[in-house]
Amino acid sequence: MDSRASVFDIEAAAERLRGKPGALLGLLEEIQDADPARYLSEENLRRAAAALAVPASQVWSVATFYGFFNLQPQGRHTITVCRGTACHTRGSLGLLKDAAALLGCEGYDPDSEGAFTTADREYTIRTVACFGQCALAPVVMIDDEIYSRMTPGRLVAVLSGAKKRGAKKAAHVPRRRYEGEAAPSVEGAVR
Amino acid sequence: MSDTITLSVDGRPVTVKAGSTILDACAASGVKVPTLCHLPDVCSNASCGVCAVEVEGARGLVRSCVQQAREGMKVTTASARVLESRRTVVELLLASHPEDCLSCLRQESCELRELAELVGVRKRAFPPTRAPRKLDAISAAIVRDNDKCILCGRCIEVCREVQGVSAIDYAGRSQNSRVAVFGDRSLADSVCVSCGQCTVVCPTGALTERDETDEVLALLRDPDKVVVVQTAPAIRASLGEALGMDPGALVTGRMAAALRRLGFARVFDTQFAADLTIMEEGNELLARMAGKAKGKLPMLTSCSPGWISFIETFYPELLPHVSSCKSPQQMFGAIAKSWWAEKEGIAPEKLVVVSIMPCTAKKAEAKRPEMRDAWLWWKGKGRASEPYQDVDYALTTRELARMIRRVGLDFGRLPEESFDDPLGASTGAATIFAATGGVMEAAVRTAYELVTGEALPGIELKAVRGFEGVKSATLALAGKELTVGVAHTLKNARAVLDGIAAGTSPYAFVEIMTCPGGCVGGGGQPVLPDWEKRRLRTEAIYHEDRKLQFRKSHQNPAVATLYKEFLGQPLGHLSHELLHTEYKRKEVR
Repeated sequence: MDSRASVFDIEAAAERLRGKPGALLGLLEEIQDADPARYLSEENLRRAAAALAVPASQVWSVATFYGFFNLQPQGRHTITVCRGTACHTRGSLGLLKDAAALLGCEGYDPDSEGAFTTADREYTIRTVACFGQCALAPVVMIDDEIYSRMTPGRLVAVLSGAKKRGAKKAAHVPRRRYEGEAAPSVEGAVR
Repeated sequence: MSDTITLSVDGRPVTVKAGSTILDACAASGVKVPTLCHLPDVCSNASCGVCAVEVEGARGLVRSCVQQAREGMKVTTASARVLESRRTVVELLLASHPEDCLSCLRQESCELRELAELVGVRKRAFPPTRAPRKLDAISAAIVRDNDKCILCGRCIEVCREVQGVSAIDYAGRSQNSRVAVFGDRSLADSVCVSCGQCTVVCPTGALTERDETDEVLALLRDPDKVVVVQTAPAIRASLGEALGMDPGALVTGRMAAALRRLGFARVFDTQFAADLTIMEEGNELLARMAGKAKGKLPMLTSCSPGWISFIETFYPELLPHVSSCKSPQQMFGAIAKSWWAEKEGIAPEKLVVVSIMPCTAKKAEAKRPEMRDAWLWWKGKGRASEPYQDVDYALTTRELARMIRRVGLDFGRLPEESFDDPLGASTGAATIFAATGGVMEAAVRTAYELVTGEALPGIELKAVRGFEGVKSATLALAGKELTVGVAHTLKNARAVLDGIAAGTSPYAFVEIMTCPGGCVGGGGQPVLPDWEKRRLRTEAIYHEDRKLQFRKSHQNPAVATLYKEFLGQPLGHLSHELLHTEYKRKEVR
């Protein structure tokens, strides 16, 4: 196991959270955050169950219910494309397909709701039902930054830049303003 | 505040106890509101929506199984809106349900099928929306077909609330909602103890026993095999019910006749082995109390394999408390394939032992790798062969009923026949093994006499009868007070075990049965039991006990012969080889 969560003290965290409402959710969140691959391994789920004395089946129930929890190791960068109605009408399916093609996500099914991680664990591509930014559709999130009014050209630029920089975090690329469009944008402000 | 309330159901006033649900109030006024997920004493999570009714002033339809009736409420149970809603709910449930009713194990007892007819479904109204799922047929006892699951949650509730096992829970969300074990693995790789309570509460064919009727019928028609059968005590009080008779019908003689007509070479009785268990276990208890045997006090019974899996999985540190006696099913197999086979000159490799059990866990128990002591015994005598199990097949009550129907026996018209000697001889003490408290009562009937030299006054130990979760009795035994406990369902077993772990247990001896009511309420019994059915089955068992000439295990003449000719004495060398076993911590991946 190369995961940092093996260093993360699940039992101590459980001790701290025990008896509080949502203890299980909180513990799973902490475990995932502490894991370099940002996911919940089955071993860690079992440890969480034992530490909070809840049935393993219940831990599995919670972990599979929330889209926030990853049950597979995640890539170093995550590209999240909004597939809500507003983003869809403004071309988010094309963005999703472009991103998948550019990042080499062979075998990815854009209609699936699941996440896809490249074999080299560099990129994970996933969808979300809505960011709540419908007025700025289409919206794409790269790691922690939200890009609004995304276009195929800009997406390629951002992702190619990120790919070139390799190990570094995908940097924020300022968006070119459309003519007549009012500043300021909300980029980077939304977390 | 008044204890009763009056409301109107379809314009007619009805008075019910305060706190009753609308469903209860409808029933009291003679209206059967259909339900699906609702199962009294097990599940009431209002997940299905079938029981919805109209309540004046309420915004939408109201789920009558959970909503409390109120003074002055006006309920309408069959308005156009209600009837349409009910039908739509069932049509939606059927959208992703496979159309394989004709080959479904539960076709005769499927609540969904009955309900579809009742609400008037006449077409497939909606296209399927779920992707097909994998069949889980790895467990020795239980087959899980999630395609047939309607997510009612009864299995989850019974596993968690009645058994305290929690092997399964809902997983996923929306279209991906499913009942799953940890990691979406097979039940075989989970903490499931194979008790089968989920198979008796499932309204559809999503959870069933592993049906082995074809295998057994094929063996019965194989001229190279000698196929004998043993029947557990509980079967005589439930087989009739499984074949359409009233719950509690006692069919001992007809069952023997049916088994003979099915082609079994000998019709034997697990009750023989139950009497044998009492001889071994009673002596083991006395030896432990005298400090002459390894193993701790309180001693815990070991007849119920779901319970054995439970303690191996959840409380392995308490395993030294468990009696080393095998269950009656396994004692029977070991004796049939050693002593009896040799006596009859039957090659043990050709002998097939089939047992009829009220239980799905017995299937898993029969397949435990250590349960082949007859083979080891023969090997020790220089007879080499491929290994074989002491018990080859364990069929449930439901499977036996299926076989009887398949070969065309008119069960109600069969004569009353008796069991074959010697392994069909038994006493009333063995019969009551079927009910919670029965093993304890049987043990006390014999142990009391062994210690005091006198018969137990009144012979019956009423304090340990009945459906209370944990029962106890205190007896004066040779100047000493002996407190015994009885628990049924694994949730109650947990309470007893927690007491032992905390050092506060007052008992010297505790009987544990896995299922509600004991074996009469087993996971292999007719589906959809309730406490009334379990009570009627139990009454039949105690009635049978009262009818019998011998009611104490040590009076069983065939058991006496077995000790005289073969075993020597209880806890002797051969007993240890053939009738006792060891338990192991069960690790779940």
